[in-house]
Amino acid sequence: MEPKGQFTTERVFDAPLSTVWSVWTDPEMLKQWWGPHNVSIPECEVDLQVGGKFYIVMKAGEAMGPYAGTLWPMMATFTAVEPEATLAYDAEAWTEGQKETTTINQTTEITFAEKDGKTVVNINAVIHTAGSDAGMAVQGMEAGFNQQLDKLNEFLSEQK
Amino acid sequence: MDKFYAIADPTRRTIVEILAKKGRLSATAISDKFTMSMPAISQHLKVLREAKLVRVEKDGQHRIYHLNIDTMNDIEKWSQQMSHLWMQQFDKLDALLKVGKNKQK
Repeated sequence: MEPKGQFTTERVFDAPLSTVWSVWTDPEMLKQWWGPHNVSIPECEVDLQVGGKFYIVMKAGEAMGPYAGTLWPMMATFTAVEPEATLAYDAEAWTEGQKETTTINQTTEITFAEKDGKTVVNINAVIHTAGSDAGMAVQGMEAGFNQQLDKLNEFLSEQK
Repeated sequence: MDKFYAIADPTRRTIVEILAKKGRLSATAISDKFTMSMPAISQHLKVLREAKLVRVEKDGQHRIYHLNIDTMNDIEKWSQQMSHLWMQQFDKLDALLKVGKNKQK
C-alpha cells in the first residue's frame, strides 16, 4: 500500500442509526466523546446545514504532560449534510498560538448506514496541506494514546 | 511545496505508484506511461521534486527519478496517527453509546 495522505476506516456501533447520528451532530454529545483520550472539549458549535459551521476546541488534559493545557481548535464548514446518511466538511485545525506553522487543512467525509440494528460508520479523511510544525500537535495527541496503550498492556500482562 | 498537496493530484499519485513499483525510471519512461504531453508530466515531476516526494539523479543525458522514502514514511506516519486518533474517538463514542443504552433499560 502506498501512503496517500489519506485515511479511511469503518467501525460498527451497537446502537441504532438515529442515536449514532445524534451523538455525532449534537454539540453537548460531541463534547463527551470527541478527541483522543485525555482531552476535554471546552467549546463546540454545530450549525447543521451545508455552509454551516462546525467549531470544536480540544484541550489537553494533565495526563498529556508537557502539552497539558494546549488548545487545539478546529474550524470546519459543512459541505454535505444528509440526515442519518452523510456528513462532510472542510476543516482547518491548528494549535492555538501557533496557527501560522501548525495549520492542517483537511476534508472529512463520514457515512452512516444501518445494518441489523447496528450502525456502520465509514470515515474518509484527506489531508490537503499541513504546516511545518503540524506534526507536533498530532504527536502530542498521540502521546496520550500511547500512554493509554501502555496502561492496557500492563493490565493485560497482569491478568496472565 | 506541501507534500500533501503534491500527492493529492491523481496524475502525481499515479507517478508515485509507478515509481513505487518500478523503483527507478527516467522522465521519458514515466512520460511514456501517460497520454498527456511530456511538458505536462515534467511539470508534475517538478511539483513532486519540490515537495521532496521524489529524488532525481543525472545519468548522462537522462534524469532518473526514484521515491524519497523519508517523505513517503512521513506521510505514512500521518495516516497512522490519524487512524490512532479516530480509534480513540471511536472507543470513547462506543463507551458513551453503551451508557446511553443502559439508561434506556
